[in-house]
Amino acid sequence: MVSPVEEQEKYLHDALGTVKAQAFHMKRALDKNKLMDALKNASAMLAELRTSLLSPKSYYELYMAITDELRHMELYLVDEFQKGRKVHDLYELVQYAGNIVPRLYLLITVGLVYIKTNPALRRDLLKDLVEMCRGVQHPLRGLFLRNYLLQCTRNVLPDSPDIEGDNPEGTVKDSIDFVLMNFAEMNKLWVRMQHQGHSRDRQAREREREELRILVGTNLVRLSQLESVTLEKYQKLVLPGILEQVVSCRDAIAQEYLMECIIQVFPDEFHIQTLNAFLKSCAELESGVNVKNIVISLMERLAAFSQRSDSIGGDGAQILQEVQLFEVFSNQVSSIIANRQYLPPEDMVALQVALVNLALKCYPDRIDFIDKVMLSSVEIFQRLGLEHLESHTPVAKELQKLLKIPLDTYNDILIVLKLKHYAGLMQHLDYYGRKALSIYILNNTLENETIVPSAEEAEQALTLLNTLVTDKNEHPVGEMDMEELMEEQCLLARFIHQLRSDVPDEQYLILEAAKKILVTGGPLRIKYTLPPLVFQAYQLAYKYRKVKDERWEKKCTKIFKICHQTITALVKAELAELPLRLFLQGALAIDRIAFENHETVAYEFMSQAFSLYEDEISDSKAQLAAITLIVGTLEQISCFSEENSEPLRTQCALAASKLLKKPDQCRGVATCSHLFWSGKTQASHGEEVHDGKRVVECLKKGLRIAKQCMDISVQVQLFVELLNHYIFFFEKGNEQVDVEILNQLIKKIKEELANLESSDETEQITKHFRNCEDYGKMLTLLTYHAPNIVAQISKVKFKILRLLVCNNSN
Amino acid sequence: MSFFGFGQSAEIDVYLDGQETRKTAEVKTEDGKKERLLLYYDGETVSGKVNISLKKPGSKLEHQGIKVEFIGQIEMFYDRGNHHEFISLVKELARPGEMIANSSYPFEFSCVEKPFEVYTGANVRLRYFLRVTIIRRLADIVKEVDIAVHTLSSYPEMNNSIKMEVGIEDCLHIEFEYNKSKYHLKDVIVGKIYFLLVRIKIKHMEIAIIKKETTGSGPNTFTENGTIAKYEIMDGAPVRGESIPIRVFLAGYELTPTMRDINKKFSVRYFLNLVLMDTEDRRYFKQQEITLWRKGDKLRKPNVQSPAIMAGTQNLQNTQLQTAHLQAQQAAQQKQQQAEDDNSDKEPTTKQAMVKEDFQRAPSNSQDATAPREDAFDGRLESPGDDSPESERIQNMTREAGDGQNNDNGTENLE
Repeated sequence: MVSPVEEQEKYLHDALGTVKAQAFHMKRALDKNKLMDALKNASAMLAELRTSLLSPKSYYELYMAITDELRHMELYLVDEFQKGRKVHDLYELVQYAGNIVPRLYLLITVGLVYIKTNPALRRDLLKDLVEMCRGVQHPLRGLFLRNYLLQCTRNVLPDSPDIEGDNPEGTVKDSIDFVLMNFAEMNKLWVRMQHQGHSRDRQAREREREELRILVGTNLVRLSQLESVTLEKYQKLVLPGILEQVVSCRDAIAQEYLMECIIQVFPDEFHIQTLNAFLKSCAELESGVNVKNIVISLMERLAAFSQRSDSIGGDGAQILQEVQLFEVFSNQVSSIIANRQYLPPEDMVALQVALVNLALKCYPDRIDFIDKVMLSSVEIFQRLGLEHLESHTPVAKELQKLLKIPLDTYNDILIVLKLKHYAGLMQHLDYYGRKALSIYILNNTLENETIVPSAEEAEQALTLLNTLVTDKNEHPVGEMDMEELMEEQCLLARFIHQLRSDVPDEQYLILEAAKKILVTGGPLRIKYTLPPLVFQAYQLAYKYRKVKDERWEKKCTKIFKICHQTITALVKAELAELPLRLFLQGALAIDRIAFENHETVAYEFMSQAFSLYEDEISDSKAQLAAITLIVGTLEQISCFSEENSEPLRTQCALAASKLLKKPDQCRGVATCSHLFWSGKTQASHGEEVHDGKRVVECLKKGLRIAKQCMDISVQVQLFVELLNHYIFFFEKGNEQVDVEILNQLIKKIKEELANLESSDETEQITKHFRNCEDYGKMLTLLTYHAPNIVAQISKVKFKILRLLVCNNSN
Repeated sequence: MSFFGFGQSAEIDVYLDGQETRKTAEVKTEDGKKERLLLYYDGETVSGKVNISLKKPGSKLEHQGIKVEFIGQIEMFYDRGNHHEFISLVKELARPGEMIANSSYPFEFSCVEKPFEVYTGANVRLRYFLRVTIIRRLADIVKEVDIAVHTLSSYPEMNNSIKMEVGIEDCLHIEFEYNKSKYHLKDVIVGKIYFLLVRIKIKHMEIAIIKKETTGSGPNTFTENGTIAKYEIMDGAPVRGESIPIRVFLAGYELTPTMRDINKKFSVRYFLNLVLMDTEDRRYFKQQEITLWRKGDKLRKPNVQSPAIMAGTQNLQNTQLQTAHLQAQQAAQQKQQQAEDDNSDKEPTTKQAMVKEDFQRAPSNSQDATAPREDAFDGRLESPGDDSPESERIQNMTREAGDGQNNDNGTENLE
């Protein structure tokens, strides 16, 4: 068995052999000036092109070989004719060839010679040649024959503008007619290939057609190369001629290719002026044609053109203004969508995407155009009854693309918010789609640090992002991925910081609006979203304090009320530590701002913190942390009267001593000691209290508790820590703390240290202790000898303490 | 010339006036060879000299008289003995007497009527010749000299195009048109085929020029068909609505004018046969008679400059315009010609309006054998449309039997 490929090779080889032999004889005959013999040989050579055995590829090879050889004949004849040795009736002579294929090849060759040597015959000859080629109706042979015609005539097509009267040399109009006719015939032949042969060979046939399409397209190239084809001619003759053929051939492959060809070969200036005609034809194409691609490709070209001409200025820009590019496309696209029911929805959306791109490129400042596209997209979805497109479907992907474009272009969420139909269009995505898009919007906003400066916009933005903000709507089935949730909520939290206005009142409104929306988020979300809001509010309060407009105090009160509500919402969501911290932070802020009645409010915040501590925090570690925080906060706050501060301090000390574990108790109590030293009250007029007695009481209590510890190493550790505190207060000048106490403690620690087994832990403790001891010693010495240095040192005490703590924790 | 090898003998030589300058024409001889003969037209005077040279100078030649004859005759090859002379003119050159020296006798047949054109066919030959006879008691000395005669016709007064719609029901409908019904021998047939319906897979289409020579009459009629030319005009399968141009140059083929009932002995007629071949090598054809005539070619211009070589194919209107234009041009020539040829042939012109005729499928082999194949076609020519079973007037095209074999109604196997 011979494989088809080998068979092809054999056929081709045989044919090429004949061609070679005949061409040889032909050239010899020409050398001897025996034209008749040469013609006979040429005819025999051309007869090889009558074959039906070859595939398009092999036929092409054969064609190339033969036309190469024919060039010798042409050159010879042109030469002879120019020497004045005209062969009479040559044009008639070659027509005696009995077979049509060789006859027409020869006719074209001779015709070309006639045209070259006698331009007066040009018009008629061109007409005659293109007409006579009708005799070959076999698609493959016809296509190549006409291609030969087109090739031969490419340099002799008349290309002069129309003139009055008869012109035998022809004008550009004759060229147009000629090429259009050739094009129409070639296209018919090309389309006909589709309908020949068995239907099971369809794929192979379509592949063959693909291989041949360039032959058809060359006609259009030729038309585009005619310099005298003006816009007017293009509008009136060329384009209608092509389109008529394209539409009427009713073949998807041809239509798609040729429309693409038109777009690519003719200049943009022409396209702009003929948009309506072109797009109208698009609507009439066959159902298999990917109209989307065609229209999009045209839009892209024109958009690029628009950008180019904008940068250069000149005619192009002017044309663009005259032609309402967007309107034209918009109308035509909607009519295409309306007329082509079978158009897949994703293609419709893709068209809209292209339209938006066009609008953005050509008219960057016309947001209404984009909005218009969004509206028409919404209408399309409504008409199609498409809701909640699943996110992996092509149409949803296209829609995502559509929705991302304005964002990518403007990088400004505010402009997106101005699009009235954006949100509506977004609703057509399903939950996941919307969520993904929301995240995209958030990222974009954050990357560009866009600030949302009004309550209205903030509200819109949050509504737009509602898949992230609330969980009211259709909740996804199954477990929520907590990590994912955290990530997206963090984004949202970051976004909330972008909601800010320089005008405090506006900022207030923003926060109020945001709060209203964000509290609907459910316990999982508000954990992330409310804190930034609260902090924003605190900052706003600070701002008011700075601005001090007439009603600032009331406004602050209101702000803190809202904060209170917001934090309470968190409490309700069964969170404890977070609201506790927020309350404390709030109390601090209130203390600083010092508006009317702030003490009460601060007290309320503190008490809320306490009640949270008491009711909600049960974990001992958390308790210790919480109490430390409370103590720290309380220490900072100065607005309380004695009446309010005393219970709070006592409460702290009490709470500390009630901690479950002894070390915790010890540390808590020790911390509390600072309350009585550096804490401030109204009574002290913001000065530190310096209640040395209570301080020492606390520390003693700490020592007592430490002694109760069974684990010696923990005990020593606690002793060392307490020693720190003692040294601190000693340094601060607490008279209740003297060297005696320090030495006692140091002695005690030394004793215990000796009992400790050596271990890493012991090592640590020992080191910690040595540092403390050294520091204490130094301090003691200095107190006696150079009191002024002590003051200096006390400035760096904090650093040293930090060092000690670090060592400790290590 | 001397049978007995004694006595005086003479050589006859005929010199025709102006034979150095006179045009010649190629004429086929009986054995198929071609020879060039001096060319005369109807009504032209044939004159010249008869030179007789004696073979034995000095001795005399006795004769019963010398004559020259101008003879036009038709020879039937199957009836060698009988020659039908349609012209026989005699001139006496010398009375009976004796010839002692080479002598020369002028002669003239003035304004001789030469109604027919010389012709050599398969079964018949028409020739003109001069015969010089030296009459002697025992054996005459005879010399024959053939001449060629061409009959020139004036432009036909009526020359309608041939336009016809033909087909095979539900299978193939075409409309064809030839721009004329009468063509001169150097003419161009221009036309087109328009496909109205195509349900067969056509491989190619060609036009054949068929010569039909009919000799004899009554039961002794012989018909000889020959394909003069085969000309492919289409390659591949057209679809409905396709229009295929036809352009056939006649000058390159061996054609004679159409001869109808020449002296009641024979006819030579020409047909255009349009043949379509399908992919299974079945042939569909339609014959159409055309009349060929000879035009004086003195005025023929070189084609290069003439738009006629390429125009006329674009569409039919164009064709007709072209034709009209040509005719106007030719009308002028015609007048000239008529002045020159006083004896111009008035051929009866038959009106051939465009007919929409009927066209039957030829009986295939599988069909009833009694149905004669030719009937569909030939019968049609006699009486168009009459014997069609349907009343609609679409002429039948003939489809040849599936084997593509030769048959005797004028087509030949392509191979």
